[in-house]
Amino acid sequence: MAESILEIEKMSAGYDQADVVREVSINVNAGEVVALFGPNGAGKTTTLRVISGIIKPSGGQVRYHGQDLTKLSPTKRARAGIAHVPEGRGIFFGLTVAEHIRLGYRGEVIEPEVVYEYFPALRELRDRAAGLLSGGEQQMLAVARNLARRPKLLLIDELSLGLAPVLVERLLPVVRQYALDSQCGVLLVEQHVALAVEIADRCYVLSHGDIVLHDSGAALKADPDLVVASYMGQRALPDEAEATA
Amino acid sequence: MSLNQVLVFLLLGLGSGGLIAGIGMGVVLSYRGAGVINISVGAIAMLAGFCYWALRTGDFGITFAAPWAVTLTLIFAIVLGLFFEGFCVRPLRRASPLAKLVATLGFLLSAQAAVILAFGESARPQPAILPGGTVLLFGGAVQINRFWIFGILLAITLLFAGIFRWTKFGLGTRAAAENEANATLFGLSPNRLSLVNTVAMSLTMGIVGLLAASIQSVDSQTLPLMVVPALAAAMFGSFTSFGITFVAGLLIGMAESLLTYFETFSWFPTSGGPGNPIPGVQELMIFVILVIAMLFRASRIPGRGDIIDRRLPAAPRPKAPMKGAIRWGALAAFAIWALPYGFREGLIYSLIATISLFSLVVITGYVGQLSVVQISLGGVAGFTVSHLFTNFGIAFPWAGIIGVIFAIVIGVISGFPALRVRGVGLVVVTLAATDAIQNFGFGNTTWGAGNTGAAVPSPSIFGFNFGSNATFHGLGGGEPSPLFGWFTLLLTIIIGLLICNLRRSGLGQEMLAVRANERAAAATGINVRNVKLIGFAIASGIAGVSGVLLAYSYGSITADSYGTLVALNFIAFGYIIGITTVPGAVQAAVGVPGGLFAFALLDWFGLQGNWLSFVGGFLLVLTLIHRPGGVALDIFYGPPKKPFKERPLGRMIFRPSPVLANGAAGADVTEGTTAGVSS
Ligand SMILES: Nc1ncnc2c1ncn2[C@@H]1O[C@H](COP(=O)(O)OP(=O)(O)OP(=O)(O)O)[C@@H](O)[C@H]1O
Ligand SMILES: [Mg+2]
Repeated sequence: MAESILEIEKMSAGYDQADVVREVSINVNAGEVVALFGPNGAGKTTTLRVISGIIKPSGGQVRYHGQDLTKLSPTKRARAGIAHVPEGRGIFFGLTVAEHIRLGYRGEVIEPEVVYEYFPALRELRDRAAGLLSGGEQQMLAVARNLARRPKLLLIDELSLGLAPVLVERLLPVVRQYALDSQCGVLLVEQHVALAVEIADRCYVLSHGDIVLHDSGAALKADPDLVVASYMGQRALPDEAEATA
Repeated sequence: MSLNQVLVFLLLGLGSGGLIAGIGMGVVLSYRGAGVINISVGAIAMLAGFCYWALRTGDFGITFAAPWAVTLTLIFAIVLGLFFEGFCVRPLRRASPLAKLVATLGFLLSAQAAVILAFGESARPQPAILPGGTVLLFGGAVQINRFWIFGILLAITLLFAGIFRWTKFGLGTRAAAENEANATLFGLSPNRLSLVNTVAMSLTMGIVGLLAASIQSVDSQTLPLMVVPALAAAMFGSFTSFGITFVAGLLIGMAESLLTYFETFSWFPTSGGPGNPIPGVQELMIFVILVIAMLFRASRIPGRGDIIDRRLPAAPRPKAPMKGAIRWGALAAFAIWALPYGFREGLIYSLIATISLFSLVVITGYVGQLSVVQISLGGVAGFTVSHLFTNFGIAFPWAGIIGVIFAIVIGVISGFPALRVRGVGLVVVTLAATDAIQNFGFGNTTWGAGNTGAAVPSPSIFGFNFGSNATFHGLGGGEPSPLFGWFTLLLTIIIGLLICNLRRSGLGQEMLAVRANERAAAATGINVRNVKLIGFAIASGIAGVSGVLLAYSYGSITADSYGTLVALNFIAFGYIIGITTVPGAVQAAVGVPGGLFAFALLDWFGLQGNWLSFVGGFLLVLTLIHRPGGVALDIFYGPPKKPFKERPLGRMIFRPSPVLANGAAGADVTEGTTAGVSS
């Protein structure tokens, strides 16, 4: 069994007292790609925010390499190797691609080659401001920049947001490959279930703040309806499920 | 006029131009590093200047040699920077840009008052640190120090431009400025970046303060107010470009210098007889330049994709205004009759200030535009009253009425730019406008006060004098007469009730809708433009009434009666107590320098008004941190259940940013619902 990177145990979190995720348990091992699915508003983004420290959980534990994260500020977590590609990409529109790759805290070692190795397309765009890149190029930059940090845990929130499925099909295997190469754990929030199950080792489905399904990627690939049904909780409506699938 | 002379004066302008550019550098650093439109940068330079002066002249007991004094001054500048970061910047880093700006206003007022308290108001001839001597250029003598100032500031500019372009620190600052939350995810520490930038700012200001010694004496006004041209310069650089700010600052200084040359010519407009060039042209030019800069720069100060707080404190519906008016009105009426004259004078000033603050309640509290120019509009009305009498023999009540109408006209005209400029931008423009009006308008002999003061006749009706010099003296005795106090009180109550009503009326609702969200208001069919203009008209009218009353109360007015300092103090006290409600305005007016409280401090404890400004500046910052709604709102909501604490990041909503037109953008990270008073 590979080394465990992230263990979330019965974690609850939310905004303004009301919890939007309740007693969620998720774990991610080294070299593993774990997908997190769920309908809109299920609490996927919230879960990632708790891991990177942007919000504090109201209960439960988050452990990183076996260490409790509670006391660590978001900055410290990032420096400890947790990379979070947030919804909306998290890049800086006023900085060029090359500047993104130089950007970093004092003493940080960034490997520019990693960027161009995994995303050769960015090479020609080095001197263009990120705000002028296309959506797909921005997403590549966001992922690439986070790969260049050599993270130990990579959180990606909706890689596919606003991207053509073909592009997602190209990006996801890169992430998969990176996890294998570097033994980094990846937690991937995705709406394109069909694409994500192709590369995910394991998948969780979050619905209304509860984990309603946890299975291997292969199992879900074999039975795609399972995920969609779990979206609806117990009251899955067969015809709607078909329509979405 | 010879070309050589023009060139000489342009070169001379390198001095003040360099200083403006240097202060502009501070503005840019504060903005890029901490997201603050910092109007206290000049004041920090002034503090450093005084520090150096005191060290060199032995004011602290020991006289230091120049190198030591320079070193100590720079250390002092660093300490100031640390204090500024810890007190004004860090606690307010999630506050709205407007609140941040107002906090720096607090620092400015305290710094100025501190200097006056410690060293008095007179200017000090500063021991220069730059080599003296002149070179002969274009047939004129140009001091060498001009080139030193230019060179040193050019070097600083290049240094910062390079740092921001090529170092990790610079990149990090740019990233954090664009989006603090995302920068955190990259392992950057926005707090540390902000701290380093603030210290860089104060250090630069320390250098500016030292250099300024070579071309001007130190006083409590010049350097702090140099922030106005510096803001204009920074505006050209969109508050981000060091290079453009430097060049613009230099050009402004050179243009100012050229104007002083032109003043020597007979064709230059005069005021008060030949040989007296019209005053305030420089300030007017800076105002025009600032407006041009805003138009060129699409009137936008680039938004920071920060995690931001709500904008202005709530403006709750007034509760039982009639009851309050009768109760407090009766008490005030009695006090006017019974108090000794000094207290009565303070009370009357507070009543007049109340009306001034009422105008801020309308324009800031209801319409949501913080405008510094209200006091100047009062001045427009006041000087109109004075000149209508001296030039045309028109007296009360027509002079007052015409004065108020004048204020409304000017207020509405000046409101037009405000349709495009809002928030911090509006504060910056109206600050420049106030400075220009004070110097160009009120300093002018023909339509202002000149150097002597403009006489204002007592108000009387059917030959019955009820001005401050009326013979009826009440129980307390002495002037000003209670008759004038009662008249002022009556107007205060009427206007107070009217704006309470305004808050409840349909128009008031529309104003609040505009304040909350202009686009949403427009979408519901509200004519945002008209609502704003009506707001400006009402506020200007109210400000006009207050200005007229002040003129009558003083009997003779000067440019300073309606000056920038008065305006900034009023805004400060308004913010401390509550700028959004009628009771808040009343309470704030009791506290303003010159008002009732100030007189009590003077009479009982011998404390000058500057103590009030000094403490007021600090209180302002503390209020912004702990009671963003002003103290008076506690009356409506009760004190907050738990002390206002900085909100955890968790309460913020993260949204993908709308891409701005120019291709740059910041993630629009706004705050979710908040608890306590501030929700
Ligand atoms: N800053 C916030 N303040 C208050 N409530 C929030 C905030 N952010 C999210 N929520 C609420 O928390 C719940 C979970 O939101 P979250 O963003 O985690 O969902 P999600 O699973 O990522 O959905 P999506 O697929 O649409 O991105 C939603 O009901 C949302 O309205
Ligand atoms: Mg989400």
